[in-house]
Amino acid sequence: MEINHRAVTFPEGVTVLRAAELNGVDIPSLCSHKDLSPFGGCRLCMVEIEGMRGYPLSCSTVAQEGMKVLTDTATLRELRQEILKLILSEHPSSCLVCEEREACKDYQGTIRKAGVTTGCRFCPNDRQCELQDLVEKIGITEIDFPIVYHGYDPEHDDPFYDRDYNVCILCGRCVRMCQEVRGSSVLAFTHRGPKVKIGPAFGRSHAEAGCEFCGACVDVCPTGALADKASKWEGKPDGFHVSTCPFCAVGCQIELFHKNGRLTRARANLDPEVNDGQLCVRGRFCQPEVTHHYERARRPMLQKGRYFREVTWDEALERAAAELKGVKPEEFLMLVSPDLTNEGLFAAQKFARECIKSPNIDSTARFELAGGLGLWSKLFSLRISIKDIAKADTILAVGLDSRFDFSVVGTRVRKALDHGARLVTIDPLDSNLARYTDDWLQPSPGMEGLLLKAAADRLAGRETDVPAVAEKADVNADLLARALEIVASGKALTVIIGPRVFHYDDLADLADALATMAGFETINFIPLYFGANSRGALEMGVFSGVAPGIVPGDDAGFGWEEVLSGSQRPRVIYCVGDVAFRERPDCDFLIVQDTYLPPFPVDVFFPASSFAEAGGTLVNMEGRVQEVVQVENFPEGAVTGFMRPDWRIFSDLAKAAGCRALEYGTAADVRSEIRAAVPGFPATIDRQPRRMQPLKELTFPAPAGGKKSAGDFWLVAEPGGYKHRGIDITSKVGGLCELGLEAGFRMHPEDLEALGLESGFGIQVSWDGDKAGVSGEVKADPECGRGAVYFTRRIITGGLKREYEIGKLDALPNPTRVRISRLEI
Amino acid sequence: MTGIEKNNPMSDGGLSDLKHEFKGERGDLIPVLQRVQALYGYLLPDTVRAVSRWLKISENEIFGVATFYAQFRFHPPGRHHVRVCLGTACHVKGGEQILLMTQQRLGIGTGETTADGKYDLERVACLGCCALAPVVTFDEKIYSQMSVLKVQRILDEHKSD
Repeated sequence: MEINHRAVTFPEGVTVLRAAELNGVDIPSLCSHKDLSPFGGCRLCMVEIEGMRGYPLSCSTVAQEGMKVLTDTATLRELRQEILKLILSEHPSSCLVCEEREACKDYQGTIRKAGVTTGCRFCPNDRQCELQDLVEKIGITEIDFPIVYHGYDPEHDDPFYDRDYNVCILCGRCVRMCQEVRGSSVLAFTHRGPKVKIGPAFGRSHAEAGCEFCGACVDVCPTGALADKASKWEGKPDGFHVSTCPFCAVGCQIELFHKNGRLTRARANLDPEVNDGQLCVRGRFCQPEVTHHYERARRPMLQKGRYFREVTWDEALERAAAELKGVKPEEFLMLVSPDLTNEGLFAAQKFARECIKSPNIDSTARFELAGGLGLWSKLFSLRISIKDIAKADTILAVGLDSRFDFSVVGTRVRKALDHGARLVTIDPLDSNLARYTDDWLQPSPGMEGLLLKAAADRLAGRETDVPAVAEKADVNADLLARALEIVASGKALTVIIGPRVFHYDDLADLADALATMAGFETINFIPLYFGANSRGALEMGVFSGVAPGIVPGDDAGFGWEEVLSGSQRPRVIYCVGDVAFRERPDCDFLIVQDTYLPPFPVDVFFPASSFAEAGGTLVNMEGRVQEVVQVENFPEGAVTGFMRPDWRIFSDLAKAAGCRALEYGTAADVRSEIRAAVPGFPATIDRQPRRMQPLKELTFPAPAGGKKSAGDFWLVAEPGGYKHRGIDITSKVGGLCELGLEAGFRMHPEDLEALGLESGFGIQVSWDGDKAGVSGEVKADPECGRGAVYFTRRIITGGLKREYEIGKLDALPNPTRVRISRLEI
Repeated sequence: MTGIEKNNPMSDGGLSDLKHEFKGERGDLIPVLQRVQALYGYLLPDTVRAVSRWLKISENEIFGVATFYAQFRFHPPGRHHVRVCLGTACHVKGGEQILLMTQQRLGIGTGETTADGKYDLERVACLGCCALAPVVTFDEKIYSQMSVLKVQRILDEHKSD
């Protein structure tokens, strides 16, 4: 075809707009977007095509061979000016056409933080605005239409982003993003004509309407109508680095924007491998607050007599080294967080094994990878591909709600459904995926594994007694039979297993099912877990008994559990980003190395760099080694802080203790050692998915069982997802705290009503014939199944003082029967 | 108990009669909403939720569609229907002021119902009796050549109903 008298080539099926874009011809447009369906709302992209009547829209006309397109004629320019003037007549535009606007930039620099946007100088989107750019390009000096100002109240009620629909031009990008790509459909055009406004039904808040707070709408907004609360007034960023999200094992690629050397906000990268321009609430909105919170620990601290003092690095290192020199290997325990980079993890285990010569090293990754390291090393050896979910023709999703966690997996499922895939969900809770399917099996809590086993047996051609299974799991037998039929008929099957499923006590059925399914190379497995670098932790060998490269070692040490149960009492405990205790553990000397101070007294504290301050690599669930880019690089100082990367602290401490094994200058030095120790670890940062060599023995923790408690309700523990290093990020991110996703007990509203309770009441949860119990606040959650009460079992309690009471439930079997009563005050 | 309360489709139950009439596809949305409104008189949030589940369209999208069309209402109809005409003739003769006064007197906007369930207010485009403009109807009765004062008098007359 020809564009502007130039012959060009284009892939089949694209629009004229896209064809022009691919050939470097710029056509102005405000409503089109690569991921979204053609809309034809702004009408700025009109072109002239020989043989076609009028001025067709390039965004909704499919390019064809032989077309002769003109994109920039005098008539088109005139028409575009007129159209843009019409758009601007409903958008505060005084600053766009003001004669003084150049001078204004210099003199009005300080009056920008305004509650309501009345012009560009009062808009959070100033100088990063598509509308501004287009006005510049199309050239508008005056607007001769009557100006309309809607006078809507700006909406600040929801967490994470503000909305000012007076600035909105109704391009519909946010609506289409929310409906087509995210599938959450919270945003819709409501009302008609001049009253059209974007928002959820019945004037509900976004949180009530089921918003995922993924920020995809904010990213595509061409105006300042939608703006991040946290970075609203930061102004135009200086630039960005493509990095990896440090908050979960999906490993989304993100763009970290910075201004004056400081991280300002995160946005999704259009990386086709993992997240394809999508994120979840944590990745999109929580990054700056986690690293810049005012409580962030920035200096080494030392307990000196009665006082806990800020000291220099030398003094703190010397004190810790002196203590470590005298410690016997069996008196030492190191605990390492699965949120550390590979470099940090490797240096940690090497420090324990070679400097202290102690086998006692453990990580909460052991708890994130519930079911045992053997099971997970087997799972990691299977085909895991997030990208391929979209290619599936059948999806079996067990215990996954992708509203706030693993949202990117949810968007891929949605994409597969758009291509005609069939979805079967197994979940006692009403998930955001169950909405898309007629085949939702709702078993009683803990029976997910049994149903998965039935599916696995069906795949393997084994006989299953469907009515018996259905009765045991409390699902409809016909529904189950149909669901099994769908699963068995799939040619490209994807099996997604949410983290909750791995956290039940009795995993025998689940393990059996997985062992059967592992035999099918065609199945794409998506086993989900919390703890961003748990897979890396397994590869780096931060467990006693597992050396780097997942070599089973014979160094039988002890770990976290022995300390908690009191069977071992180490003299020195060294917590590296992993303060998984409610109070100070029993020991003589406690070293903590983290980004925040733990909630109990320690002897030495080393301030560690956050993900934004130290470079490194993380291993995602598919085995990709992905880079975390250093965004902030300030010299150490009183204002900027004295934080150091984890590997560097180990190196410094080893030096102070007289051990020469860890002499690293850069993170790359550590990486070259990792490559030598871990077979298959790439030499450079290489994002290819890798498969793991599974550990030989497959051991499962035996179900606690035994005590069968009576009661009317199932008490179900869910793993907490908001842990990052030693803190729960809920305690640092205002918006998450407002959502309170993991706070207290959660029950179905009708169950609450039947008990005469209301959301916000205190309840007493008791078991063992009412001999034992805890109390807490209850919240109505329509997603909970009937007859069950849910709570979040947290590994980390940093910053969460109110959750102390619920922590007592940790010792109970999961799930267990309990009685619920109203808390009498 | 009124008919509306009795048939309140709190659960899926209220829709079960409709379910065999439709295939349950996305395209059925508008006819389904019309049938629901015919059954219950208006669209209430619980019905919208049930329709959302059934047709797999989010409540927000349904609300967007329903608010686009003037035929759908989100408030239960009142016992008396007050309609103010704003067709061309009525508009020219000051229908706008009459509507404004009626809204003020009833304390509701167009398309809403008073808290006691007595009146609902609607604006209509033309009632076909332009010679009588401006026109207001109270239930089935047509009041011609209205003024701001006359409207108040009519509302006062029906106060005790």
